[in-house]
Amino acid sequence: MRQDFEKLFSHLTPAEPPAGLFDRIILAIKREQELQQTKRLLFGFLFLLVASFIATPFSWTILINQIESSGISYFISTALSDFGVFIALWQDFSLAILESLPITGMIAFAICLGMSIFTLRLFLYRKRLLFGYLMQSFA
Amino acid sequence: MERYSDEQLIIRFLKGDEESLEILIKRYLKPIYSFAFRFVGNSQEAEDITQEVFVKVWRNLKRFDQNKKFKTWIFAITKNACLDWRKKKRAIPFSELEHVDDGKSFIENIPDTHLLPNELLERIDVANFLNKALEKLSTKYRIVLLLRYNDHFTFREIAEVLGEPLNTIKSRHRRGIAVLRELLREK
Repeated sequence: MRQDFEKLFSHLTPAEPPAGLFDRIILAIKREQELQQTKRLLFGFLFLLVASFIATPFSWTILINQIESSGISYFISTALSDFGVFIALWQDFSLAILESLPITGMIAFAICLGMSIFTLRLFLYRKRLLFGYLMQSFA
Repeated sequence: MERYSDEQLIIRFLKGDEESLEILIKRYLKPIYSFAFRFVGNSQEAEDITQEVFVKVWRNLKRFDQNKKFKTWIFAITKNACLDWRKKKRAIPFSELEHVDDGKSFIENIPDTHLLPNELLERIDVANFLNKALEKLSTKYRIVLLLRYNDHFTFREIAEVLGEPLNTIKSRHRRGIAVLRELLREK
């Protein structure tokens, strides 16, 4: 019975897909791929933006506190007020300044600043895509 | 590459070979479009559904259970896409193969398969005859019969595609055959 019906149904000519359909599908997949990348980029951008906005003032405060407590400002002001002494004892001065550098605060602040710049660069680089995606999401 | 099985192509695609997906799409383009066309009876809608199906396949291929058959999975996605389309449109007949499409009748749309004129005419006659009978069948019977005899699915595969128990599919098939026989006899 199955063969009889298969023979009967073989008379139904399958509808032929239009010539450009394959290309349309590939294009739609590429577009979807791009959209996914944009979405990932947007979330990455938002995460970095929020993180850098929160972390930068904190790291700045840490840096200022460390500068104040390290005494580096005294060495610098002495070096600037009496430049002759600084030149004569530049090796000792340099060593003292290096020793009192607030390394942790500087690194933390540099990382936060770098992150902010990277976020800004990311935004400027793909702003059209990000805006496009946002407009599409809220439309 | 063309000789690879569906499962091999999926594995290759998941490893980063984009061409494998293109081969899979080419392999299933005609059956999926044909299925969608039979469901919606309109080439533009069938095109949109086919496109949507392949985008969904691409999106979910990473989550595809490779113990299952790709063919049943893709047809299940197509069936769901067609049902979603019907929900949106409502009251659209399942199959209108002989209806006008791009200004051409069904007969005009039949490709030249190098048959002799009388064979071709006979074929068209049977096709029209069968289409009319199928149109009178309800959707649930028609889908089972078309998947069984046109797309050569087993009952188990049809059950998987439609998400129904095997026995339900078997009984639908039995009833569908009985009604179709009756309709063909009437003609």
